Amino acid sequence: MACFERASPALKEILLKLYRAEKPMEIDHHLYEFGSVEYHIQCSSSDPHNTYLSISTPLLSQGVVFSYGLSHYTIQMVKEVCSDVVEIINPAKEGYQLTLKLNFAKIPHKKDLKIITEICTVQAVILSSQLKELLQNVSSHDISQGMYKPVKLVYHPREPFFVIRQPKKITAVFPMRFKDNSDVIIATAFFQELMDVGSSEAWARAPPCTWSPIPPPELRGEPFEDLSTNGGFVSFDISSRHVEGKKLDKTAWSLLNFYAYVKYHVKSTRGFIQRRMRKRLDSLVEVLQKASTEEEEDTHIKKVQGWKCVRKLVSISKSKTLRRRCSDFTKKIRRIRLPIKIHGFDRFRRRWLKIPKFSSAMKYTKLD
Amino acid sequence: MANTLRLYLTCIRNTLEAAMCLQNFPCQEVERHNKPEVELKTSPELLLNPVLICRNEAEKCLIETSINSLRISLKVKQADELENILTKKFLRFLSMRAEAFQVLRRKPVQGYDISFLITNYHCEEMQKHKLIDFIVQFMEDIDKEISELKLSVNTRGRLVATEFLKQFI
Repeated sequence: MACFERASPALKEILLKLYRAEKPMEIDHHLYEFGSVEYHIQCSSSDPHNTYLSISTPLLSQGVVFSYGLSHYTIQMVKEVCSDVVEIINPAKEGYQLTLKLNFAKIPHKKDLKIITEICTVQAVILSSQLKELLQNVSSHDISQGMYKPVKLVYHPREPFFVIRQPKKITAVFPMRFKDNSDVIIATAFFQELMDVGSSEAWARAPPCTWSPIPPPELRGEPFEDLSTNGGFVSFDISSRHVEGKKLDKTAWSLLNFYAYVKYHVKSTRGFIQRRMRKRLDSLVEVLQKASTEEEEDTHIKKVQGWKCVRKLVSISKSKTLRRRCSDFTKKIRRIRLPIKIHGFDRFRRRWLKIPKFSSAMKYTKLD
Repeated sequence: MANTLRLYLTCIRNTLEAAMCLQNFPCQEVERHNKPEVELKTSPELLLNPVLICRNEAEKCLIETSINSLRISLKVKQADELENILTKKFLRFLSMRAEAFQVLRRKPVQGYDISFLITNYHCEEMQKHKLIDFIVQFMEDIDKEISELKLSVNTRGRLVATEFLKQFI
């Protein structure tokens, strides 16, 4: 899921609230994450020391389904998460793959935050343990019909990826899909950089990475919908040295989060471009604004000069201005003497104040 | 600045200096209206011959002149897909904020990336040589900005790729 943090932040908040509550709380809370992960937190006031946490998560691989949904390796990994505080309830609650009984009373006071954070990583542990199981068997391989069979892993419903076991290495192939065309181009630029960096001598110890717009031959025979992409295919060759000891956990987590990593990079690059354009807009506008302000200053100076000229003219021809004033006055008087004209009055008079015409005695009117 | 670019920009500057002699001219079709003739193109006697200045096939500038207005359309070079989306994004961003520029057209002329419309009023409000300076500066800046953006996006990609691969070592 698109979250680099292993611990679920919402679950952590609820569990911390429960742990720090002064009075025992009654809680029956359903929590959904990324649309497909469901948590059910249950705590009753009659049993304040025990809290029940049930998890339902889509399985990474649709291969073998074990007794209660999870493999023994996964159960083992979950048990390793704070074994003192956490107890696995068998069988799990109906509709969930795993139910944990949390005993908050056993949490040491100073380590509460650390332990609760660890408990909240259960979903990440379940998912990464499935990939770890696959990665651990780098040297062993299963061949079906003479070919290395790809295993389809669905970490997100729309973003499946493939793991292909080959002799001495495991290849992880990511079909990349993006909604926007510009995202495809930014991501493609990133994949090319990834290939360049990976092939350099300084990064010889990193897994070789390849990007191609067409599906690699290992995926031949896979369903068409899985192979139709707009961002091409990114492959990582994982060898045994990348899964040694503590590296296994990091490798599994990096592969699981590759999609999220690329999408986060694309999103932040878009933000970066936007910020840069905004900054540039100001500097471009500044040139025009300078031009207009300079023009305004120039006209202002010209206006002042013009006023001075007028003053000079006025002082010279006083007789002319007197004559002009005189003529204006006479015009006004003439306007007053003229009959008042009201706009549209003529039409009104013709319509309503019409004097009827009488036929004279001398003349005759023709009858129809 | 590359020699060819300098020549291209000088040519545009000279053409603009010659073309930008605009005057107030009321519309001949509608009374008491004053419209940019270069946009309406109702009276052919008010239009001058358009000038097309090309640096290469991908980079060109069209200058259309009329009695009261001037239209400058630019096509910016786009060498690859990344430059193409960066140019589109940037010029769209500027067109959306056309009111800040006063002389920028909201929609470019077909076949070009960005268009300016300068009327006689703009020439009266702003100095003519400053307007020409702005157009030439704008062309220089756009080229520079897109090259820098492309470089930054690639550098960012390289850094992110390095950080990702670090996790495996």
